[in-house]
Amino acid sequence: MAKRTDINKILLIGSGPIIIGQAAEFDYSGTQGAKALKEEGYEVILVNSNPATIMTDPEIADKTYIEPLTTKILEKIIQKERPDALLPTLGGQTSLNLAIGLYEKGILDKYNVKMIGANYEAIKKAEDRELFKQAMEKIGLKMPKSAVVKTMAEAVEIMDWIGFPVIIRPSFTLGGTGGSIAYNADEFISKVKSGLEASPISEVLLEESVIGWKEFEMEVMRDKNDNCVIICSIENFDPMGVHTGDSITIAPAMTLTDKEYQMLRDYSIAVIREIGVETGGSNVQFSQNPETGEFYVIEMNPRVSRSSALASKATGFPIAKIAAKLAVGYTLDELPNDITKETPASFEPTIDYIVTKIPRFDFAKFPEADQTLTTMMKSVGEVMAIGRTFKESFQKALRSLELGKYGFYAKLENASDEEIKEKIIRPTPERVWYIAEAFRRGYTIDEVHQMSHIDKWFLNQIKEIIDLEKEIASKTLGTIDADLLEKAKQWGFSDRELARLLKTSEEKIREKRIDVSYKVVDTCAAEFKAFTPYYYSSYESLVGKVEEDGSIKLYRDSEN
Amino acid sequence: MKKKVIILGSGPNRIGQGVEFDYACVHCVWALREEGYEAIMVNCNPETVSTDYDTSDKLFFEPIVYEDVVNIIESEKPVGVVVQFGGQTPLKLAVPLQNAGINILGTSPESIDIAEDRERFRDLIIQLDLKQPESGIAKSKEEAVLIAEKIGYPVLVRPSYVLGGRAMRLVYDTAELLEYIEEAVYVTEDKPLLIDKFLEDAVELDVDAVSDGEDVLVGAVMEHIEEAGIHSGDSATCIPPYTLEDQLIEKVKEHTKKLARALNVYGLMNVQFAVKDDEIYVIEVNPRASRTVPFVSKAIGYPLAKIASKIIVGKKLKEIVPEVFEIKEKHPASDFVSKEFKRYSIKEVVFPWTRFPNVDPLLGPEMKSTGEVMGIDKDFGLAFYKAQSAAGQDLPEEGNVFISVADKDKPKIIQMAKDLQNLGFKIYATKGTYNFLKENGVDAVLTSKLSEERPNIVDKIRNGEIQLIINTPSGKRERSDAYYIRRAAVMHKVPYFTTVRGAYAAVEAIKSYKEKGLDVMAIQDMNL
Repeated sequence: MAKRTDINKILLIGSGPIIIGQAAEFDYSGTQGAKALKEEGYEVILVNSNPATIMTDPEIADKTYIEPLTTKILEKIIQKERPDALLPTLGGQTSLNLAIGLYEKGILDKYNVKMIGANYEAIKKAEDRELFKQAMEKIGLKMPKSAVVKTMAEAVEIMDWIGFPVIIRPSFTLGGTGGSIAYNADEFISKVKSGLEASPISEVLLEESVIGWKEFEMEVMRDKNDNCVIICSIENFDPMGVHTGDSITIAPAMTLTDKEYQMLRDYSIAVIREIGVETGGSNVQFSQNPETGEFYVIEMNPRVSRSSALASKATGFPIAKIAAKLAVGYTLDELPNDITKETPASFEPTIDYIVTKIPRFDFAKFPEADQTLTTMMKSVGEVMAIGRTFKESFQKALRSLELGKYGFYAKLENASDEEIKEKIIRPTPERVWYIAEAFRRGYTIDEVHQMSHIDKWFLNQIKEIIDLEKEIASKTLGTIDADLLEKAKQWGFSDRELARLLKTSEEKIREKRIDVSYKVVDTCAAEFKAFTPYYYSSYESLVGKVEEDGSIKLYRDSEN
Repeated sequence: MKKKVIILGSGPNRIGQGVEFDYACVHCVWALREEGYEAIMVNCNPETVSTDYDTSDKLFFEPIVYEDVVNIIESEKPVGVVVQFGGQTPLKLAVPLQNAGINILGTSPESIDIAEDRERFRDLIIQLDLKQPESGIAKSKEEAVLIAEKIGYPVLVRPSYVLGGRAMRLVYDTAELLEYIEEAVYVTEDKPLLIDKFLEDAVELDVDAVSDGEDVLVGAVMEHIEEAGIHSGDSATCIPPYTLEDQLIEKVKEHTKKLARALNVYGLMNVQFAVKDDEIYVIEVNPRASRTVPFVSKAIGYPLAKIASKIIVGKKLKEIVPEVFEIKEKHPASDFVSKEFKRYSIKEVVFPWTRFPNVDPLLGPEMKSTGEVMGIDKDFGLAFYKAQSAAGQDLPEEGNVFISVADKDKPKIIQMAKDLQNLGFKIYATKGTYNFLKENGVDAVLTSKLSEERPNIVDKIRNGEIQLIINTPSGKRERSDAYYIRRAAVMHKVPYFTTVRGAYAAVEAIKSYKEKGLDVMAIQDMNL
């Protein structure tokens, strides 16, 4: 075992109050990290201003400071505690920014605190646009074409090189004010002009638009011996243009060919190596041109992120815990997988189910706010659901949202066709229900794809659900046969939805339908025995077992 | 075989139901495991500690709706289900689950219903000889006007049936009431309007207590920094109360205990009170974990949710925390600590204003905050300073303060303005406030409103010439100067306060900070 012995005391910084874009996932990762480090015998000093967290419970760290997260306060804590190391990658962007601040102000050097996990250079390289672009060029990966211009003449010169549509972002304006998209040369001139005016230093960033492209994320981990593993691939149901945090996402990626998946795997590993995250997890985002299949790198987070919390829950692989152990010198092959106890953490998780994440919004509290989903995150929470099929997983996630909707039905019968179209073209939190309604009205997959740019595979799945819904609605509780009811449950229809379609009560459906089965999340698709009792429900088909007397017993397997 | 208990989680985070409830659920899981039960967690939120498979004995990653929950119960056959820690999500299921013959552990759904049903709750208050603000239920527009006039303005109005968006509003006169009814709600026989007397300028209190059916211990009496009218989830809160007499706080504790016994609470309970002219009014009772439970637990050093969880599986407070019963002289604001306890804990909240550029960044009766922070210090001012700093508002030590307040607030700011001047700040004001300050002997610099000559006040904020803003709303919601001032403050990160009490606390904080500076201390080193 190669645990570092040159450090004893480790400082962890939490992510502060829950804000949009930085929520409870960092309590999960920080708590895991602190527990993992303590388990290894290190003294853990924790700072977080948020009392509503498990990580700030007195038993989690050795010393817990519920103090403001500012460099001034952190310096006082460092001065008092004299930690040997700072692990900045488990507390979101807040923690990373504070680590950068402490480094740049010379405070880490002054008190001889080493950064572990990701060092200053790696963080800078991942966060600085220009440095990141250069790094990607170096390893031959493409990014959306972009350039910074200070005059109209410069802008016009590169207009054709970037092509249309082009995104115009004025530099140093607050909250993205003055940003716009130009679809043609005329618009380009006027929008660049107002962008330059909006920017206090008269500068705009021109960027090739990838709106409508497909979007993927890869969770990758690396150890100090340069071993890399991919924990999970995630595909966004909503195409580029909607922030990942506001997108419905699916794990694993559904619409990649194996060849494409292997490419993304290689790219992700190349990115984490080039950026130089020495140990720990990173999240790399890609977009894919649906016409040509070409991939662009969008960004990488050199830290544990919202997506890694999701990936951990989706696979059973505890990214934050492993990241903490890698940071103190372990390698992936030295760390056992808690779930199987037999396999090491260097085994990439395999999953035999589908995971759907849907964000939860709270616009009711802000009636004046624009509900259009854009590149600025607006959701306040999320749900995840696990199913054996995409359909089951997705429908379970819909009812998990607690919006009074138990599937794809949202009382939209009276919506006009214009409204349906408008709500499919312009992404809002209700888009999936409008898509379902469009299929009820006979819209084709091509039509909905044209409006939404959502991949046709996803749309086809929803259409199949609606087609089955129609079939069920033509029956009654008395006339529906067992096979159809079983199929409906396997496709994730809730009892409530079935009761609505069959004009009966939830209780009556419950009496008639098959029993649920529980399956284990085991990181290995049942290749090894699982020791952790982490379950999800599904509806199994009947299997037969030959009894001693030669008779066959039929049953539905459940693992709980 | 260990007995099984199922704990229902809080589902997706949303405004009003956040990470605090996951914290309480995790504590419940830990407590039940300690007591020898097999703790089974059900939740569908991937962001949380409760859905870490390391937390519970068994984790079911499932929707928290009737169908999926009953499936798990039928399959696992637990001795009971816990619904009091996950907020409204599991609470909504309490009655349906009980009707299905499932054992709900802790406070009964019947008690929860008494607390939530207006009529039944009113009867209880009368029976216990406590006070509530006057209220009424209007089934028509005409009735609403009659009731409001009888109770007397201002009144808080809200539809009994809320369908997204516009809900509660503070109304100052009949014209405003009619306007609200016209634009926001339908008032009908089956969707009546709820009308409550609004206790203007009252001090609001929150109390978290834990009860085992015999003993009731008050975790803490908290005083809201902002005056009545601000949602308790959006109010900054202080433990212990900082402006009230000990005698009154003791009375609040008594009232809380009366309510806990009457409602037969097993586990946690939260009560909200308002104090006006030394009268104590009960605003609301929730016999379940509240969002302040983690904050209180950290302030007093006792994990309330864990204690409550042990109660609901049959333990008594005297067994769980015997030492608490030994305390000779208890603190007026908490049964868990002695009179010697000298520390202020202040909770402050954060808002998503920067994400929503068209929204007025103003506190009101609807909750809008997404998260919270805590500041701890022996000095009230420093605790408030830390809480502000943690929430992203570093209070200034010097510079210019812009003051613009509603007429009703003007007399209350004279002392504050003088204090600010003594601290070395220069005061800027627009005409109304400027004239008022002048008449009362406070020097100020006249600055122009948005409609007057430029540079106006918003220009000054944008140019970094204003370091602190005190701006209270006049009551009516409108796109006035005040709106643009508040938006500019948010976008340029200038600390601003929209209540008089909040502003006073800020002045206190600046004073303490300038005199003493900040110090840090680990919670493990705090001498409880």
